[in-house]
Amino acid sequence: MRAAFSKTLAEIGSADPRVVLLTGDHGYALFDEFRKVCPDQYINAGIAEQNMIGVAAGLARAGFRPYVYGLSAFVPIRVLEQIKIDLAHDRLPVVLIGDGAGMVYSHLGTSHQSTEDIAVTRVLANLHVYSPADRHELTRCLELSTQASTTAYLRIGKADRGDVHTGPITASVGDLLLVRQGGPKLAFLATGSMVRTAIDIAERVYPEAAVWSAPFIKPIDSVSVIDIARQARTIVCMEEHSIHAGFGSLISEMVAESAPTRVLRIGVQDRYSKDCGTYDFLMQEHGLDATSVAERIGQFLKKA
Amino acid sequence: MTSDLSRFDPRQLRRTVLEMAFAGSTVHIGCAFSIVEILAVLYRTHLRYPGNEPDAKGRDYLVLSKGHGVMAQYACMRELGWLDDHAIKNYFADGSHLKGLSDSRIPGLEVTSGSLGHGFSVGVGLALAAKRHGSDQKVFVVVGDGEVNEGPIWEGALFSAHHQLKNFMVIVDENGFQAMGRTSEVLELDSLQRKFEAFGFEVMSVDGHDQQALDQAIATLSSSGKLSPKAVIARTVKGKGVAFMEDDNRWHYTRLTADSYRQALACLELEPAR
Repeated sequence: MRAAFSKTLAEIGSADPRVVLLTGDHGYALFDEFRKVCPDQYINAGIAEQNMIGVAAGLARAGFRPYVYGLSAFVPIRVLEQIKIDLAHDRLPVVLIGDGAGMVYSHLGTSHQSTEDIAVTRVLANLHVYSPADRHELTRCLELSTQASTTAYLRIGKADRGDVHTGPITASVGDLLLVRQGGPKLAFLATGSMVRTAIDIAERVYPEAAVWSAPFIKPIDSVSVIDIARQARTIVCMEEHSIHAGFGSLISEMVAESAPTRVLRIGVQDRYSKDCGTYDFLMQEHGLDATSVAERIGQFLKKA
Repeated sequence: MTSDLSRFDPRQLRRTVLEMAFAGSTVHIGCAFSIVEILAVLYRTHLRYPGNEPDAKGRDYLVLSKGHGVMAQYACMRELGWLDDHAIKNYFADGSHLKGLSDSRIPGLEVTSGSLGHGFSVGVGLALAAKRHGSDQKVFVVVGDGEVNEGPIWEGALFSAHHQLKNFMVIVDENGFQAMGRTSEVLELDSLQRKFEAFGFEVMSVDGHDQQALDQAIATLSSSGKLSPKAVIARTVKGKGVAFMEDDNRWHYTRLTADSYRQALACLELEPAR
């Protein structure tokens, strides 16, 4: 997924001289390819994220197409107001890339763990929110970003969970993607790293479940969501993000209004990580490993 | 570009501000009055708007980072013909588009401000864009001295100096006040000249109500051969032009009554022209 990111970003930069990549002193080798093919379009803006967003706004106003990279704990969290006022207010075509979303920095602690970014970005008017699950979704999101007519936030989480698609995809902004066929009564809707987990759980424990990936959180194809909700007895939403105001909340809001059915939100509860450890350890601590999630689903289905 | 002093006459600009303030409700009068001469000099002599179009391609940029002073900018935009009398007289009427703080959707206002410390960085981005385009466009950013409490100002100062944005000029409206008191009582700023110099700026300090001095400082810095960004520290008086509002922070954000409106207009006429 990271190789796909580096490659696609370099392609975008070399295809369009208006593209400028700004980073808040993060990224390391991720930008080697970009810097090789378009060195003049790369700016390390320093450890100064607020200014970086403002600079991106000025560049976009004058006709450039900035890509702004940071860790998702900083971009968008630290610079939310700059995104609202300097970018989204005027639909400036700036692509914000928040890397390391969720529990990726499992050893570093709360400052680098990011489980609030979907919540705070999806509430901003004019802002698109993308959350790809594998390299194919990521590549497609980046391709679409080149034509974006407004500001977009691209959330990149755990990147080595393997593919959920068999090859390149041609999705449009907003599409929900069926990644595993199943019956209509039980639907797993997942985003980002949790799509792989959702497929694994369906394969192992709930073969009747259809699994949908949501690489686009905003906008999202509401017709498809409502259609799924009308047929399903139970929807399970999964995200490596807080259950409050995240992807599961979004689906719940849509379903409650138009096609009420039971929705289980799997995600991070209302707390920060207490200890550190490997990524897998931390996911388990938050009940986001496949076994824990499967158990939660079992309990939920029993209550039905 | 003209130096015809009958254009952007500060007294007339202040009349417009008072007219809007009275038509509106609670407004930032003191913040607008301190930047009247700064804006008058910029619009009269330094800003280029091809075809007098506020959105003209290739224009210079005036970024009012301290959006609280926006009534002074509206007054200039009225003079430019970008705003009509109806918009001025109906300030704050239901459904009207001129707000109490600047909104980038109004042609002539480059950024949405009011939350402080934003416009500076956007101006830095505009200056960087002009440099990358090889254009001679200039960027003037007006910030308040209270506003420089904000961290992004100093992030942007580092960035603009590092990238040698010689086409970037910040003008600090040093009126000595912020919302809740004197800047020296809230967060001591000491010498802004030395601070900006330390960040790599070429700096001049002037009387911010002396149009000739402002004009000269802006011209001198604009034509400087140095690659550094520029700063003008404009020493101003909050509420300038109406004696009973001057240096009195109660006029930071308040409303005019019929009486105070009449008195303010009378005071304005007594003020000697400069």
